[in-house]
Amino acid sequence: MAELTDLTDEMKAAIGTSGPPATYEVTAQAIRTFARAVGYRNPIYYDEAAARKNGHQALPAPPGFLGMPIFNPFAERPRGGPQFTSPFVRALNGGSEVEPLEQVYAGDVLEAVTTLANLELRKGRLGQMLIRTSETLYTRTSDGAVVARTRGTGISY
Amino acid sequence: MSAEQTYWDDVAEGSEFSLTENMSSQRLVIWAAASGDFYQIHYDDSFARGNDLPGIIVHGALKGMLVGRLLDEWCGDAGRIVSWRVSYRGMDPADRDLQVWGRVTRKYEHDGEGRVDVDVGVRQPDGAETTPGSAVVALPKR
Repeated sequence: MAELTDLTDEMKAAIGTSGPPATYEVTAQAIRTFARAVGYRNPIYYDEAAARKNGHQALPAPPGFLGMPIFNPFAERPRGGPQFTSPFVRALNGGSEVEPLEQVYAGDVLEAVTTLANLELRKGRLGQMLIRTSETLYTRTSDGAVVARTRGTGISY
Repeated sequence: MSAEQTYWDDVAEGSEFSLTENMSSQRLVIWAAASGDFYQIHYDDSFARGNDLPGIIVHGALKGMLVGRLLDEWCGDAGRIVSWRVSYRGMDPADRDLQVWGRVTRKYEHDGEGRVDVDVGVRQPDGAETTPGSAVVALPKR
C-alpha cells in the first residue's frame, strides 16, 4: 500500500473546488421505488390522488430522495466533485448529512454541484486512509430554488 | 395511512421512538434499483466474501434513509426535518432485523418555531450500534 507523507499538490489544489454540474431527474416511478425500498407506508409517496388530497401538487419525494442521474452508456458518468489522482483504490461510505430545504416533486429536474470541502490523511485500522468531505447543492432547474444541501464523508484506503 | 401527528408540546427530552425492519437480500436488491448503487457486496454473497466481508451487507445509504423515514413519520404532515446526519461506523450483515431509533435530547424554540434535537441510530438485534447520528426537526405546536 502506498504511504503518503502529505497530501499531493494536486489534492491540495482540488480542495475548495467544484465538479461539473450533474443532472438528476425526479420521476414518479423513481419516487415509488425509493419509498418501497425504504419501507414507507404513507400513500402520498405512491398515489397521486392521495398526494393531492394532502395539499401536494404531485407525488412528493420522501426526505433525502433527490432523483436519479440520467443513465446513458454513451456519455461519461457524473463523478460527483473535482477529481484527482489518488493511490487509494478501495472506498467506504463514512457518513452523510441531508438538509432538505424545499419540497421536491415528481417532474422536478435538479442540477447538483459538488464541492470538495476537505481532504485529510489519517491512520486507522485499515492503514493509511484519505478522508474526503464534500458538500452538494441541488438546484431545481425550473425555478432556480436550492432544494437540498447534502454533505458526505468518503473514506479511501 | 398517514403517520400520527407528533406535537412539540407533547414531547420531552428523553422521549424515544423507533421502527424495526428486516433487511432481507430482496430488500437490498430493491434498494440497489432505487439508488442505482449496484456494488456487488450488497447482493452477491461470494463476491462479498471475496472482499473479506462475512457475506452481503446493508448499504450505508439505505440505513441513512431509514433514519430519514423514521423522522418523517415521527414529524407527521405538519412537522418537518431540518437536517439529519449519520456516520457509518459498523457493517450490518443482511437478513437481520434492524432497529432504527430516535431519542429527543433537547427541546427549544427557534424563531418562534418548536424544535427538537434528536439522537438517532441503527441497532443490530444484539444491541450493537452501527450508525450513530443526530437530527434537528421542527414540530407543530398545539
